[in-house]
Amino acid sequence: MSSSQSSQPAFGARPLHRSPTPGLFLGLIVTLAAVIVYSIYSTRQISGLRELQSNLVDRNRKDSLQLLRIQNDLNLLALAMRDMLDNDEPYPLTAWSAQFDRVRTDLDDALRREQTVAPVNRTPDQEQYLQNSVAQFWDAADRTFALARGPDQDEARTQIRISLRARQEALSTAVSRLLVQNNESEEQAAQRIAEIYNRVQRQVYLFFTATLIAILFTSLYLIRSNRRLFAQLETLSAQRSELAQKLISTQESTLRHISRELHDEFGQILTAVGAMLTRAGNQAPEGSPLRADLREVCEIAQTTLDKVRTLSQALHPVMLEETGLESTLDWYLPVVERQAGIDVFYVKSGHPFPVNGSAAIHVYRVVQEALNNLTRHSEANEAWVRLRFQPQALEVEVEDHGKGFDARATHQGIGLVAMRERADLLSGTLEFSHPSSNGSGTLVRLTIPREKLEA
Amino acid sequence: MASSSAFPFGVFASPPPPRDPGFRLVDVTASSGIHFHHNNGAYGGKLLPETLGAGCAFLDYDRDGWQDILLVNGADWPGHKPEHKPGQPVEPSTLKLYRNNRNGTFSDVTRSAGLDLEMYGMGVAVGDYDNDGYPDILITCVGQNRLFKNTGKGTFIDVTKSSGLGGRQALSTSALWFDFDRDGLLDLFVCNYVKWSPEHDVFCSRDGKDKSYCTPEAYRGETCWLFHNRGNGTFEDVTATSGIFDSSSKSLGVAMLDYDHDAWPDLLVTNDTQPNKLYRNQRNGTFKDIAVDAGIAFSAEGRARAGMGVDVADFDNSGTPGVAITNFDNEMTGLYRLSPGGNYVDVAIQSGVGIPSKDKLGFGCVFLDADLDGSLDLAVVNGHIDDTVRNVSGVGYAQPPQLFLNSGHGTFVDVAADVGGGFSQPKVGRGLAYGDFDRDGDLDLLIATNHGPAYLYRNDQTAGNRSIRFRLVGTKSNRDAIGATVRIFHDGSTTPSQSRMVKSGSSYLSQSELPITFGLGKQDKIARLLIEWPNGRTEEYKNLAAGRCYDCVEGKGITALSGY
Repeated sequence: MSSSQSSQPAFGARPLHRSPTPGLFLGLIVTLAAVIVYSIYSTRQISGLRELQSNLVDRNRKDSLQLLRIQNDLNLLALAMRDMLDNDEPYPLTAWSAQFDRVRTDLDDALRREQTVAPVNRTPDQEQYLQNSVAQFWDAADRTFALARGPDQDEARTQIRISLRARQEALSTAVSRLLVQNNESEEQAAQRIAEIYNRVQRQVYLFFTATLIAILFTSLYLIRSNRRLFAQLETLSAQRSELAQKLISTQESTLRHISRELHDEFGQILTAVGAMLTRAGNQAPEGSPLRADLREVCEIAQTTLDKVRTLSQALHPVMLEETGLESTLDWYLPVVERQAGIDVFYVKSGHPFPVNGSAAIHVYRVVQEALNNLTRHSEANEAWVRLRFQPQALEVEVEDHGKGFDARATHQGIGLVAMRERADLLSGTLEFSHPSSNGSGTLVRLTIPREKLEA
Repeated sequence: MASSSAFPFGVFASPPPPRDPGFRLVDVTASSGIHFHHNNGAYGGKLLPETLGAGCAFLDYDRDGWQDILLVNGADWPGHKPEHKPGQPVEPSTLKLYRNNRNGTFSDVTRSAGLDLEMYGMGVAVGDYDNDGYPDILITCVGQNRLFKNTGKGTFIDVTKSSGLGGRQALSTSALWFDFDRDGLLDLFVCNYVKWSPEHDVFCSRDGKDKSYCTPEAYRGETCWLFHNRGNGTFEDVTATSGIFDSSSKSLGVAMLDYDHDAWPDLLVTNDTQPNKLYRNQRNGTFKDIAVDAGIAFSAEGRARAGMGVDVADFDNSGTPGVAITNFDNEMTGLYRLSPGGNYVDVAIQSGVGIPSKDKLGFGCVFLDADLDGSLDLAVVNGHIDDTVRNVSGVGYAQPPQLFLNSGHGTFVDVAADVGGGFSQPKVGRGLAYGDFDRDGDLDLLIATNHGPAYLYRNDQTAGNRSIRFRLVGTKSNRDAIGATVRIFHDGSTTPSQSRMVKSGSSYLSQSELPITFGLGKQDKIARLLIEWPNGRTEEYKNLAAGRCYDCVEGKGITALSGY
């Protein structure tokens, strides 16, 4: 009584631990959070990369292309100036003006485009220097051609040699410097990109490790709590079985006691009462009403004695211990036929072997319960009972062709539970099936290993 | 086309069935009396000009209406004349003039014409610069170019010095006559290749030991020349003042065209490893190079290709001047269409000209309607510059000429192997010109090779296609009507079905005949003829029967000949 009042469950079972759900939930949340955090991180890194790529590398390359174009134009100008100075053409220096104009058009366009894609690290001073150099070059070129239009070609050539060429070279050097600068910053960008890749790679490893650990812990936790759950279930099942078996044995011993009391005590008393009444009746005068009354009372006592005996048998067939299972069934089945009003076809087969009393009572009770169910629920008029003594086991079948029932139904009566427990007590099996394919009828088959019956 | 594109791998494809191009080419070189062998003077010195020559021309020098032939020759280098073998006649290498005997044969009239002169000739341009009715000849040379004035009596006199063209040493290549200022007098444009002279020849070598021919990168460029015809038999060098001057050019080919439809002649100059030039006539005596903007300076990849020969014609019958430019091997021939926006678009690959020309080094190229179906076809002669090229890159030194037949739907297919006459036999082709020397109404082909023979292929129509020809004579315009545009219209149409320009130059070092030929297919007449004379005047004629040639004299109407 005290145990049922305590917070501990009955029968000394281990306490039920808290549900694993919060733990699993936590694991899931940790994993999801890691994924989200990593996604945000990668997105950031990628956008950083893109920015680096478009702002620095692409822009640099576009700018370098334009610078190369400018350099090419400057080279064309240098070649033209070389030809002008060579003085081996029959043409005045002004002949080159168309060539200069063509280059100028292209150079202007290249410079304009270059300005729009100039790298962000270009200083205003550099920009200014480039523009000034170009302006100075064309200024010098215009002056040279103006001079060349005059009579003094040599002076114009001198101008080309000392001024125009120098400016072209200065311009070319400035452009080269910008190209070098572009290359350098491109290299730096490449380095930074490589760093980002390395960092991302490291983070990927970290992320995967963290995720793996989270998954590992969650799995371990899941396995542990599962195992604990199953252990608890097993314990519960064992406790339940133990309880049922205790109940059954208590019931059996109680019934046996009552049955024996009825048989022995009340039987003795009623027999004695009967004997005394017979004697008293014999002493009463022949034909007297007393004699008749005594006989009648004697008959009542006899009937009561019979009833007590029958009840005693019904509660616990003493025959089981005395004559064994086989003959108890031989006696019991006609009783069922008589009481329930059905035909029982009883078949025995195999070589009978002795079944000890404590085991026999369980087999008997199973048959009794099966027949009880049959008469109560199956609406059948016939029943087949088969007792098979097999070399290694005893098999008992109770079959009817009634309306049948579903043994898998979740709600089972105490009778069915008891039947299973009894089978379990003997390490046997209890099967329910339908003898016919359309689902009608019931076949109950109890199989008990022989060693459990003979022990 | 379909069969060749469907089976790009010859290994797996069965050979395509021979096509019937609708005409045959017959090699009549020997039977017509043309015995010519080009001398490039090669003695082992591997001098640059040896690889370049030479050109050829169809011209009617005696004005008898029959096309004569001029073949340009090189010469032995000074100090490297081969030893004379006793007993053999001394045959100086001179250019050759062959007079048309009007019976399918030619007579060598070089000596009687006074042209048996030794010079290292490269190209030829024919034009009546003095408007006397007789075509004069400019021979471009290594060294001094020569201008020969036609006396009208079957002879020529060298007027180089008196015309003002003397005193210039250069490596000149193609040239053309055109009237850039529309004053009725033909001016002269001369391409120069690079600054080269025997004394300044650069040593180039493929293997580091033996000398080989240099690529043009080894030499400095040279400007082209433009000479203005003063009208008194002399020329004025306007190279510098006209804006033509460009010391970076390495020019090999030149063609005239009217790029902007303003009836003023523009010029397209192909440069070797330098951007091509499109000189737009600014109608004030000056030109402006717009090649880059027009999309024809570079290849589609932005590279300056090795532009060699060039021809301009309305090959898609759109009324606009399309362009073909031959290039080095691995560069493909460029075939350009003019877009409505004024940009040239290279359609070589999609038209079927690109891939077959990829392994060819092209030189002379002409648009001509070889099958007279009304669509201009493209003939190209190929041949490498390096006789050891097979050891280096696997392409041949001698290469087969190509004849791309125009389907009329934007695609071409090479039928050179199907036209017979050994036309597709590999040759070291350079010059190429067309002309109807037998006056049967179709165009015959003349090929000049480097250090080899010349070839004359007679065109024989087999499909029964007809043509109509026009010989234009200018009165106010230059007498040759060079620069005139001729358009023909069929019934009810307001857009011309075909157009041609009378032009000098084009191809490579060569000049084709001046008369215009329209292929008409099976049509027996044209509804309308429109002539835009070089000075801007237009004339229109209606209902002209096919199958003949017409003499069209500016301002005086046309006269039908009995035949071609």
